[in-house]
Amino acid sequence: MSEVIFEVKNLQKWFPVKRSLGQLLRGQRTWVRAVDGVSFQIKKGEIFGLIGESGCGKTTTGKLIMKLMDPTGGQMLYRGQDVTHLSPEALQAYKREVQMIFQDPYASMNPRFRIREVLTEPLVIHRLGGNEQEKLALAADALTKVKLTPPSDFLDRFSHMLSGGQRQRVATARTLILSPRFIVADEPVSMVDLSTRAELLHMMKEIQQDLDLTYLYITHDLSTARYFTDRIAVMYLGRIVEMGPAGELIDHPLHPYTRALIAAVPEPVPGRVNVIKEIPIKGEIPSAAQIPAGCRFHPRCLFATDECRNLPEPELVQAEPEHLVACRRYKEL
Amino acid sequence: MKLKDLRETLRDFWGEFRKVRYGMVGLVMFGLFLLIVILEPVLIPFPETGRRWRDITYWEDNPKNAAPVWVNWFTRKDYTPQAVLDKPEISERKAANTQMVEAVFTYNYKYDLPPIDLLLRATGKGLLNLAVHLERPDGLSIELTKKSIRLSGEAPVRLSLDKEASGAVGDFLKTYEDPDVLRGVSIFTVKPVEVFFARAEPGILRNPVPLKGEYRIKLTCVAVGSGAFLKEPALTVAGRVFGLMGTDASKRDIWSGVIAGTKWALLIGLLTSAVAVIIGVFYGVTSAYFGGAVDLVMMRIYEVFQSIPLLPVMIVVSAVFKPSIWTMILMMCAFFWVGSVRTVRSMGLQIKEEIYVEAAHALGASRGRIIFKHMLPQVIPYAFASMALQVPVSIVYEASVSLLGLGDATIVTWGQILHDAMQGGAVLQGIWWWIIPPGLFIALMGMTFAFVGFAMDTILNPKLRTR
Amino acid sequence: MEKLAIKNIKLHYFTSKGVIRALDGVSFDLRAGETLGVVGESGCGKTTLGTALLNMPTPPGRIVAGEILFDGLDILKLNEDELRKQIRWEKIAMVFQGAMNCLTPVYTIRKQMMETILTHRKMTKQEAEERIIKYLNLVGLSADVLRRYPHELSGGMKQRIVIATALFLEPQVVICDEPTTALDVVVQAQIINLLKQLKEQLKLSFIFITHDLATEAEVADRIMVMYAGKVVEIGTNEQIYGPQRAAHPYTQLLMAATPRLRQKVDQLAFIPGTPPDLLAPPAGCRFHLRCPQVMERCRQEEPPLVEVEPAHTVACWRCGHE
Repeated sequence: MSEVIFEVKNLQKWFPVKRSLGQLLRGQRTWVRAVDGVSFQIKKGEIFGLIGESGCGKTTTGKLIMKLMDPTGGQMLYRGQDVTHLSPEALQAYKREVQMIFQDPYASMNPRFRIREVLTEPLVIHRLGGNEQEKLALAADALTKVKLTPPSDFLDRFSHMLSGGQRQRVATARTLILSPRFIVADEPVSMVDLSTRAELLHMMKEIQQDLDLTYLYITHDLSTARYFTDRIAVMYLGRIVEMGPAGELIDHPLHPYTRALIAAVPEPVPGRVNVIKEIPIKGEIPSAAQIPAGCRFHPRCLFATDECRNLPEPELVQAEPEHLVACRRYKEL
Repeated sequence: MKLKDLRETLRDFWGEFRKVRYGMVGLVMFGLFLLIVILEPVLIPFPETGRRWRDITYWEDNPKNAAPVWVNWFTRKDYTPQAVLDKPEISERKAANTQMVEAVFTYNYKYDLPPIDLLLRATGKGLLNLAVHLERPDGLSIELTKKSIRLSGEAPVRLSLDKEASGAVGDFLKTYEDPDVLRGVSIFTVKPVEVFFARAEPGILRNPVPLKGEYRIKLTCVAVGSGAFLKEPALTVAGRVFGLMGTDASKRDIWSGVIAGTKWALLIGLLTSAVAVIIGVFYGVTSAYFGGAVDLVMMRIYEVFQSIPLLPVMIVVSAVFKPSIWTMILMMCAFFWVGSVRTVRSMGLQIKEEIYVEAAHALGASRGRIIFKHMLPQVIPYAFASMALQVPVSIVYEASVSLLGLGDATIVTWGQILHDAMQGGAVLQGIWWWIIPPGLFIALMGMTFAFVGFAMDTILNPKLRTR
Repeated sequence: MEKLAIKNIKLHYFTSKGVIRALDGVSFDLRAGETLGVVGESGCGKTTLGTALLNMPTPPGRIVAGEILFDGLDILKLNEDELRKQIRWEKIAMVFQGAMNCLTPVYTIRKQMMETILTHRKMTKQEAEERIIKYLNLVGLSADVLRRYPHELSGGMKQRIVIATALFLEPQVVICDEPTTALDVVVQAQIINLLKQLKEQLKLSFIFITHDLATEAEVADRIMVMYAGKVVEIGTNEQIYGPQRAAHPYTQLLMAATPRLRQKVDQLAFIPGTPPDLLAPPAGCRFHLRCPQVMERCRQEEPPLVEVEPAHTVACWRCGHE
């Protein structure tokens, strides 16, 4: 359980902003710092949740791990090996073991492909699975794993003929066909109806246990994260501000941002109507092109002091065993 | 296995295709065009149309600027249509060193406006003494001409009775027409054939009344000398209306031209547009996929091609090299590919950002696979549509080059016919039958491919599909 | 006092494949000053209901039966002109799903808001601007945003502008279709707070359409649960979310499927299968194919909405039919 399968050290991804003529002449260069020094370890067999609002860099982190883009700085280790920069052969091998489930299952499948083509594509790409017949058998097998049975009912359909839940199952089946070890799931259930969401998460968990998989679960939804993940890291403006076991982090949040997030989440319980809810945060999320100096959360923090504004950015420190927080004042709050 | 799959796919496709009505219309039209190409030898009355379109001797028996025969259905007075009488009653007598041939042509005249000319054709050799008599339904018999011809070898004989009978017509008129009228008329302005097909009564010159009935034209020939002969006599009644689509100013049969042009139109249109669009689609998708510097360079090359006007280039090339349809197709392919590049590139840029392309990247798909499996199929419907639109453009371009006399002289194309019509002032003279048929065929062919293209679009684009 | 009374409304989409019964006999009422929450899965007819209340069904949809009484006046009997002058936006306004993404990118906020107000009201630009600023302040924005373009604003600000635009003409009923779905949690909570304040200040009645039961618990005085074009349950916030639990099996299952943040749930419930095809809905109760408590009667007869306790109506053969 304690073996680290994936480690990210001070990962950075900066995107250049188009410069105006004036900036060009003055030689200025601005960057959108989408991911700005992210470090975490994911242990084998766990479900690690990466949580944050839109624009916090969680999806970019996922794409960096998937090698869909190159990092600006930092290091990524997969099973102890540096995968920050890979040769084409090593990259193919890496992509066999690390798979991704996308947010929108409809958009992530070519609309011209039948399900059989969607599922056999990974095999074709990696030249695996033998002849056509054997490939098809593997595809049928994957469909059975995600409980789309009988597989023959689905193989010849197009993705637009399936319901949202079925599509996401097919997307999951596609990632399973190469027998990966590590799966990045980017908001896998946010486009699925509530009534089938739990079913899908349940299935993903079952597969995880059966096949001994590790998940990186990226979401904005704290409620499903608590239900689904073992550990959670909360991201704000390209950095992790708090990290810890799911229950612990949500029941005893330390960082003011995490507290605000939790306070904002609605709950299906009575007696909340006509009550104005306190949300302990102010202002709007700044642009990632202009990250505030000092603690990057200070302009929105209700508890910020001059220290937070002026001293360098706080690092993640261990507050309790397993529970890390990047805030100077967490003890006082 | 693979073959079976393909067959199944095609069967599926056909099953879908037949449900799209306009697609079927397009397909039927395409079938008709193909049928025209296959049946060309049966359909056209002038088998050498393709080869001898510009040879005026091939067409000399036809009337000039004659309307189609079916205009008679709409006019009050019927025009005489073209007729060829090649089965005369022949009686032959042979003596030492002489052969005497008598051929009688029977022509049933039942129109209001007389033929323009009567043309006698035959093949002969040696000294031929010819006489032509006309026997009219009213019993009058006229000697039209008498002539001796000496042919050294076997050669064709052609007599235009309109010219030969100018002497006979003078005598005929003197007998019947009012001398007062005749005095004011130069005999050279009289058209003999028109006179002979009118009632013999005063007014024959000014207000002729057609004399309908059976005319007999008798050709007598005495061939003198050893080996002298005359054979295969035939009479052409040069009409005022001609064939299904009339004739042009050079006496050519437009129907034959249009039919013989179909195969070239199909070839020019299909080959040019297919090659051009395939190149353009590949170019656009590649440019979009690679982006960055590759895109920049590719787009600049594209812009260079885009900004060179094709027509002058084609003119120069046609002037330098021997104008041929193949160089023209090659030139058009080399320049028309730019037509689809912009759109395909922008589609490609869009598809490149699609999540399923990203998903394929995440799976480790190669560039080739992403371009061929994920990007190209998406632009195929557009490719078909632009192919369909490129077909008429190619045909018109070919015509434009022909307009400058730099077309391929060995073939006939719709564009050339249209160009000749413009040149011949068909619009000003109201010779609509010279313009409409080639124009209509160009439009129909464009429509055919547009229909098929759009039908394919609805089928190949699964988002439009509901099942 | 009833502001809106909807009686047996039927809205069908006449497509080439057949008639889709998107709303099939929906009845409810909305009282003055209350928020009615409408919940259901996608495709249950929530959004269709919103368009029906403005009597502007999306083609090929048509309202084929029913009455919509606004203060006793049947708005379905009004012609297009009267509707526009008297009801639409004047009395009943709607915040469409994703409306914040429909702001024209090339015009400033001032121009867009001005255009909306001037097409409905005869007033000078000065007056219009004053009113715009009044409503912007009301939704928590400063007059500063007027000279901005939509891309310069955050999602939350755009949603506030859309809400302000809906409120311009001082309607009495505002229909909000998923107003918080595309927003981040913090902004979502802020918008919900805003709606609560507006309801209080302007004495508005809201119809709040969402798929999220948790959000609904925060805003709705009464909740209406829809399934496959029908109402299955209407109850007060307490009756639906309270300890005695909702009555209809569908509502119960939805509730059990909603993940909760503040308590550890070992196993969330889910509803097997998918909602029925509205081209050919099943006979009997429309939920019977997915219902864990199905009885023989459910397959045969359609259950009517019956009152099981004051203000609580349920359409289920297991409730109120003993």
